[in-house]
Amino acid sequence: MIPIHLLDVASYLPESSVDNSFFAPGTAGRRGMFTAPSTRRHVSPDESAVDMIEKAARRLSERQGLDVARDIDLLFTNVAIPDQAFTGCGAEVAARLGAHPRWIVDLHNTGCVALLYMLDLARVLMQGSGARGALLCCVQNAGGRIFSQPGVRTKSQAPIPGDGCGVGYARAGDGSPLLSLVQRCQPEFAADMRAIGDDGRHYWQPGQSPISIAFTESRVAAIIQRGNSLVPELVRLACAEAGVAVRDLDLLVTNQPSTIFLRNWREALELRPGVHHDTFDRLGNLFGAGIPINLDDALTEAKIRRGSLVCMAGFSHAGDYGAAAVLRWHGDARSSRERPASGV
Amino acid sequence: MITLAPAGLEGIPGLVRCEQYDRERIAELLTEMTHGTYPHEQVYGEYCTVHIHIECPPEQVFAYMANPYSLMEWTYSVRALRPTPTEGLLLGVDAQETPLYCRVESHREALTVDYHCAWDQGDQLWMIYLNRIVPAQRVLARSGTVVIWTNCRHPNYAKNPFPALAPRERAWVGDYWPFFFAGHSLELANLKSILEYRTRLSLPLGPRLLEVQPLPDR
Repeated sequence: MIPIHLLDVASYLPESSVDNSFFAPGTAGRRGMFTAPSTRRHVSPDESAVDMIEKAARRLSERQGLDVARDIDLLFTNVAIPDQAFTGCGAEVAARLGAHPRWIVDLHNTGCVALLYMLDLARVLMQGSGARGALLCCVQNAGGRIFSQPGVRTKSQAPIPGDGCGVGYARAGDGSPLLSLVQRCQPEFAADMRAIGDDGRHYWQPGQSPISIAFTESRVAAIIQRGNSLVPELVRLACAEAGVAVRDLDLLVTNQPSTIFLRNWREALELRPGVHHDTFDRLGNLFGAGIPINLDDALTEAKIRRGSLVCMAGFSHAGDYGAAAVLRWHGDARSSRERPASGV
Repeated sequence: MITLAPAGLEGIPGLVRCEQYDRERIAELLTEMTHGTYPHEQVYGEYCTVHIHIECPPEQVFAYMANPYSLMEWTYSVRALRPTPTEGLLLGVDAQETPLYCRVESHREALTVDYHCAWDQGDQLWMIYLNRIVPAQRVLARSGTVVIWTNCRHPNYAKNPFPALAPRERAWVGDYWPFFFAGHSLELANLKSILEYRTRLSLPLGPRLLEVQPLPDR
């Protein structure tokens, strides 16, 4: 298999930072699965996924000196709440950036581990095709688009999602080599998460009730147990495949569905303090944007440097996909002037 | 119809009942308390419970376990049990040379078999192994028996109450408490193997004992 490496990641966060007073009374005191972050970002009503990707991608391409017209052979997107019905936004992103990718893939699966799935697909597509560079774009915008709506914002899960965009750029060759990538699809869990109206209407049917995202209540305990075990298991697998020990990881970034999962994964993997880096309290559940944004945040905070061993892992939705990857970071440490102005 | 007295629970702090904890609040609590992994000390620190399914009828498991001489077959190190002048109290050896005193308290109707034991002396039997024998048909909808065995960490595990009786340089039983889960699991697996083997081959369940003539005193 052609070697592939993750050259860099970058983030964009919407301007609007929302505190807990926006949600139901008592939000800040919620516990367990409903522990609310102190703040989270929400997209504005007219902010598109394309806008978000463009800002993050420009930041990345400027930092790395990419020639977007030449260096993006593959363009992947995953957007939690797509801008349009019928089609994803990849082609519009390419137009906005001035890129000329040979393949555009608008993924609408693998949610919270989309970045890892994209890396795997990029690796396969680069095989023998001459494609060399892939832009991987992950957008979470359900906070502003769904959980800020009247009738939804007072629900107990509404304070948890936060919006943001994380992008990565992968390139054939072994700069920051991907040492391993494991993933698992568990299709039997695919039906456990649903977008529905309070009155039971389908999201495409006309009606007054706002649309919300919910897990099948009777499956919540099973979903928690699934998530508790799946992510540590995949981290161990990815480390074993990479020939490294879990205790040697310098950084673990995961999706961040709740403080409970973060705690349970940290405990299960017996990581040294500070190795598992998250932004939950500032940014909430970033879904698929979580892994690249947390990696970007860790780079900005100088948590890793050249040679650091990094693991990215997570699971999506109710456990339908899980993935983990280990890489040796060979990029340069960020200087403080590169820290994004919007305070990622 | 029976109802609770309205003020019956008044003044008792810390109760978690649906009247005060709605579904969302209880979900908060439940998810907070549910970890993916638990430290060994947290699970087996104060109480050590092991359990196993045995493909053998519960009445027969009871009869076998209620016979103290069976301990010589299925435990790792309880051996040479013999009667003492005290009714029901047996003396054997454990951990090679240690005198082990043991009395069985069993209740056929309740299907419980408790071993009251101690090292070195038989006056205070404080090492108590609680066993509950459950018909598997009732709890697992299958034939056979579930055995649930619990030990509680008596303070004497931390400090030998009769140090003068202990041979020099012998490790104290309580020092092995961190290994109790593993040790008791192995012994319970022995119990399962013995009973299932004899059941499968329609042999008497045992214990298989021989009458030996004591050596004449010299």
